[in-house]
Formats: sequence, structure tokens, C-alpha cells
Amino acid sequence: MESLNHEPVTLTPSEVLEYLFCPRYIYFMNVLGIPQREEKRYKVLRGREVHREKQIRNRAYLRKKLGVLKREFNVYLSAPRHHLRGQIDEVLTLADGSMAPLDYKFAEWKERLYRGYRTQLVLYGLLIQENYGKPVNRGFLVYTRSQNHVVAVEITPQDYKKAVEILRAILDITRHGFLPRRTTAKNRCLDCCYKNICV
Amino acid sequence: MLTWVIYDIVKDKPRTQVARLCQRAGIMRVQYSVFLGDLNANEIDELGLQIKALINEETDRVYIFPMCKEDFSKVRLLGQAFDKKLITNEIRELFL
Repeated sequence: MESLNHEPVTLTPSEVLEYLFCPRYIYFMNVLGIPQREEKRYKVLRGREVHREKQIRNRAYLRKKLGVLKREFNVYLSAPRHHLRGQIDEVLTLADGSMAPLDYKFAEWKERLYRGYRTQLVLYGLLIQENYGKPVNRGFLVYTRSQNHVVAVEITPQDYKKAVEILRAILDITRHGFLPRRTTAKNRCLDCCYKNICV
Repeated sequence: MLTWVIYDIVKDKPRTQVARLCQRAGIMRVQYSVFLGDLNANEIDELGLQIKALINEETDRVYIFPMCKEDFSKVRLLGQAFDKKLITNEIRELFL
């Protein structure tokens, strides 16, 4: 029988977000199989509600200012070459012939773009490029707790390279099952769901 | 972060629900409509969102005050007030 290590593993951009929060998340979730129980967190549930609402409301509205020609909702894509799969809130076709992912965040815009959100957009961009064959050189984030503030994020070839490297690092942990170093940002541990079992 | 939650809620049901939320968040009732305890930034944000979903913003008032330890040490308590050490987790267990 084929060893588990050689089973095709696919990752989601959410897992990458968790990895960037702390690499040990991947170990606890993917190697030990301990769930986060995030569905018990109020903010997660509210965020899901906002996503559902967004799908119903303003369906026909095209963001003309951003040069949007077409919107597709909740598009599920996979890129086996990069061991990546994921569902994108909106896939936009832009006037300049390129495409872009748009992601809703149940969060406040705090005048700075977090690395995790940025990487998530880059991975969505990678999925779109692989499946639609069109260039993706920007993405959009909508902060629903700041009156739907839209932030445009430029995506460079360097960003794609870095994102693929991160994917490789996560696959490495998943396949070899080693305990990675925890994040150096101690304040993240305060609110981590694995803090009681993380030595 | 030490956080005060102080409220004035007109209707009984949301008032009880807010009190329950505060208790569930692990902070202590120090007066009838006043809770105090140690919460991290995410817990404060979450509690604020939960309370906002319950209250009537036209009639009710809720204050969520984070307070640094230094300022808390200057707080003066008179009469039948709470024990400061209980709030700051200096006493972790209470045997009666």
C-alpha cells in the first residue's frame, strides 16, 4: 500500500494564513489532526454570516471605479501543480484584460495591510492564473467592519515566488510531520486555541 | 488588559444576556451593571461585537474601558468594594 506521505496533499489559502500566524498551527491541525474548533468563535460565525449576506446583496453591482467588467461568486478552484485549492469570494474580470481576486474580511481597516491577508490574495491570484490563463497583477480586500473599505493590493512576480516557497514549507511540515518553531510574536500565543498544548 | 464593562440597558432581556456574556468572557461582576476582568485585545473586540448585536443603540449605553495595570493600582476602593487581588489574578483560587 502506498504510504500516507505520498498521498497528494492540497492546501488552502486559509491554511497558509494560519501558517503565517504561527507555523505550529499546521503541525497541530494537519499532522496531529487536532481541530481548531473555530466554529465556536463568535467572530468566525459573524464573518460567515457577512459572507452569506454579501452573496445575496448587490449581486448585479459592478465596481466601475475599479474597472470591473464581470464578477463570479464563490469560485472553487484548484492548482494541483502547486498543491493548492480554495474558494474565492469573487473573481473579477477587469477592463485591462487582467483578472483579480476579491476577498471579504470581517475586520477593521487599521491603515496597514497584514502579511497574511496579502499572501492569501497572492494565492488566489495563483489559482486564477492557473485556471483562467489570464494575468493577475492585483487583488482587492473589502473590510466589512470599516464600511466596506476597499484596499487594492499590487501582486508582483516576486510575491508569487514567495507564496510558492511558503506552500513548500507547509507541505514539508505536513509530509514529514516535524514540530516547527513557534512564532516569535509572543502576543499571538495569548489568543491561540492551541496554547494549552503547545510546549 | 484589565477591562471595565459598564452598561445601562433599558430592557430586561438584553440586560440579562449582556451580563451572561460578560460572565462567559470570564470577567467578574463588581457591581450590578459593572464587570471587571482581564481580557486580551481579541476578547475585548469579540465581547464588544456580541454586546452590540444585543443592545438597542438608540436607548442603551455600554462602556468598555481597557485600563493599564499602573492606573488600576491607583484606583481607590471604599466600602464594600471588590478585592483588587481577585481581579488582577493575584489570587487564583478561592477556598472558603
